[in-house]
Amino acid sequence: MSITAGAIMPEKGSTRRSLAHYVLKLLRLRWLIFFSAFRRSRPRRKFGIILVTLLVLGGSGLIFWVSWWLLGFLKSPLVRSVVPDPAPLLENVPVVVLAASFVGILLTSFGVLLQALYLAGDMDFLLASPVPIRAVFVAKLLQAILPNFTIIVLFGLPVLYGLGASGGYNFLYYPLVLVVMAMLALAASGLSGLLVMAVVRIFPARRVAEVLAFFGAIFSILCSQSGQLMNSFGPSDRFSPDQLNQGLNIVTRFNTPWSPLSWAGRGLVDIGEGRWLPGIGFLLLTLGVSAAVFAFSLATAERLYYNGWASIQVSIRKRRQPRTVPAGQVRGFPLKSLAERVLPPALRAVVVKDFLVIRRDLRNMSQVITPMIFGIIYAIMLMRSGGEPPPGRGEAPQFFLDSLRVVMSYGNVGIALFVGWTLLARLALMSFSQEGRHYWMIKASPVATWKLIVAKYLVAYLPAVILGWIFLLGISILQQASLSALVYGILVVTLCLAGVAGINLAFGIRDARMDWTDARVMTRGAFGCLSALGSMAYLPVCLGLFFGPMIIIGALSLPLVVGQLLGLGLGGIFSVICAVIPPWLVRGRVLTMGEQ
Amino acid sequence: MNLPTTPLIETDALIKRYGEKPAVDNISFTVYGGEVFGFLGPNGAGKTTTIKMIVGLLKPTSGVVKVAGYDVQAQPLLAKAASGYVPDTPNLYPKLSGRELLSFVGDLYEMDRTQIEHRKEELLKLFDLAQAGDDLIDSYSHGMQQKTSLAAALMHDPKVLVLDEPTVGLDPKSARLIKDMLRQIANRGAAVFLSTHILEIAERMCDRIGIINKGQLVAVGTMEELRSSGKGETSLEDIFLSLTGGAEDAAITEVLR
Repeated sequence: MSITAGAIMPEKGSTRRSLAHYVLKLLRLRWLIFFSAFRRSRPRRKFGIILVTLLVLGGSGLIFWVSWWLLGFLKSPLVRSVVPDPAPLLENVPVVVLAASFVGILLTSFGVLLQALYLAGDMDFLLASPVPIRAVFVAKLLQAILPNFTIIVLFGLPVLYGLGASGGYNFLYYPLVLVVMAMLALAASGLSGLLVMAVVRIFPARRVAEVLAFFGAIFSILCSQSGQLMNSFGPSDRFSPDQLNQGLNIVTRFNTPWSPLSWAGRGLVDIGEGRWLPGIGFLLLTLGVSAAVFAFSLATAERLYYNGWASIQVSIRKRRQPRTVPAGQVRGFPLKSLAERVLPPALRAVVVKDFLVIRRDLRNMSQVITPMIFGIIYAIMLMRSGGEPPPGRGEAPQFFLDSLRVVMSYGNVGIALFVGWTLLARLALMSFSQEGRHYWMIKASPVATWKLIVAKYLVAYLPAVILGWIFLLGISILQQASLSALVYGILVVTLCLAGVAGINLAFGIRDARMDWTDARVMTRGAFGCLSALGSMAYLPVCLGLFFGPMIIIGALSLPLVVGQLLGLGLGGIFSVICAVIPPWLVRGRVLTMGEQ
Repeated sequence: MNLPTTPLIETDALIKRYGEKPAVDNISFTVYGGEVFGFLGPNGAGKTTTIKMIVGLLKPTSGVVKVAGYDVQAQPLLAKAASGYVPDTPNLYPKLSGRELLSFVGDLYEMDRTQIEHRKEELLKLFDLAQAGDDLIDSYSHGMQQKTSLAAALMHDPKVLVLDEPTVGLDPKSARLIKDMLRQIANRGAAVFLSTHILEIAERMCDRIGIINKGQLVAVGTMEELRSSGKGETSLEDIFLSLTGGAEDAAITEVLR
């Protein structure tokens, strides 16, 4: 059998197919990839995806019900005492929801488009195939917005439909809400695409992705912890009706006459309430502007990509001059110079390399900053409590309250340990896994196993213990703690974290995987949980050994220093055992790492 | 300097199995100091697996590998100290600069600090990387990364240099540089073991050639020895296809005709 040249060329008529045909073909390909990945995934992952889908659907149903009830409630006589005229507020709800959807799509599709256009690596393949360039771009834009649009629709639509149901809006309102949301999403994704190209022209795409992930992680942690911090400043029921009214009035500020987002909201409300002429006018204006923005963005993105503007990076950095270092002189940061004097070369090499990589990789930096945020929030909460035990009902015996006061005075140790542990757990778990496909460099070199384990131990332990000391020192100064308490606290943090490092590193060695391509999944959740459980079992025992003797000695009215010395002896021995034994037990695993 | 008769890489009945499937099946050969040994084979024949066992990245199922006289399993640190390795894909730490990477490697091999500084500048200059030496490796092109990988392997001046497809992704100038350099390294008494798919390189550069197919070593010798043991083939390409099976390729060309 032979295949002649041109035998697999498409027929002439088939080249005249519409853009939609090619877009659908590309989207079908994407769907096939997703479905194939889903079908081949483990049952646990399949179950997780189905569960999340059901939860999101259930959540949107709940939002619909709550929105309906809340928006109807706003018209009740009870609420009218706080908000005399809720009508403007209700009319602004679509404006707020649509503005939030637009901004949400604009921001979230930036990351997805960055991945789709620059990091997925399939653009050359797609553009070289007999598919119109426009179809490729439309498919990419749709691919970028579809997941986020689905989520935003699932949460935004119930609010808008709830508004319609509670206000008895016209039936045309409901399909038009969906049309308007879709058009605004398309416009947002188009603008986002242009923004991606402009940014990638200046900064490398991979670096932009790292920065995005870094700020995304920090932002989400700040958001999740802001509630805790607010609670420490007082309960939320202290808001006065005036403050509530002011807060609700902020919503009306979204409704500015020059914003296409407000035209969309106004148009929907007008149509819902039967004011046809202004409603149709506003909606046509919105849809027209959205379509124009999308068409302009699409055409511009296509042109910029095809003529190479978006692919050639403009260097804004000055080219460094080659270094001229006199023989024997070593350049480096102070830690590096110190390490060079104290540690054997191979061990030092791994420590210095790991610190450099952790510092420069923003994905790791977000892991380092997280415990600092937690630490600052909990330190503020501790200081606001005054470091005193709760007064209770006065039934506790005096010796118990005295003992509790002793323990409370070491609350700063607790925070320092918590901050150190949070950082340490991450660093220890990823200690070996972070080597990934680069591990061959260490494995092929003459580095003894024990040196490698010690190096990884130091990489996890040193930043954690230094961070713990900083927090302990800072809080102790602010609390005006005694010098003996500070010194004892420093020793406890140092020894306690040494044990935690040993336990977590052992799990890091056991769980090490070098075949990851996505840094976010370099460690397995199950081992993270196990190491957290191990640390949680270790820490109370260790703290009990450090502080137990002090409490007993305090109850016996003996000098506190005796209790401190006893605590140091018992806790210190236990910590050192936990620092050494767990990594020693799994040392054999280091020899076979990277052979899978 | 090692004489050409000094064995620097020795494999004896080397076997590696993944489950029941043998990736390398009872391979024995010796590479001497002063020679460039080419290791050829089709995709999936077991070249990279063999190389990984030589440099201590993979534990053999059975058999012995010796590098510079040291058993890689029994004396891994001594064997590794004597060898340098360039993998097929230069997976280097992307967040280190070229200079930092070479310092890191120098420290791993316990080199003297002054020697590290001197050697890395020398190698960066040699591979035309001095200008980019302070840039992070993730900004390097594939060719630059390949050259950095080679520079890292040469940092400690190894007695045994093992290279897996060293010329892939290199421009002609760099490829020529590497070919010349490998010859010089061999002339100084080191053993150079390289796998390649480019038969022309193997034919022109290598003193001896080993051909592996389906995990078994099907031929070892100089070009002359390979020619004389064959069925009259003169070029390495013909010998290679004859030993590893060229019938399938003929069928493919028939389809494309």
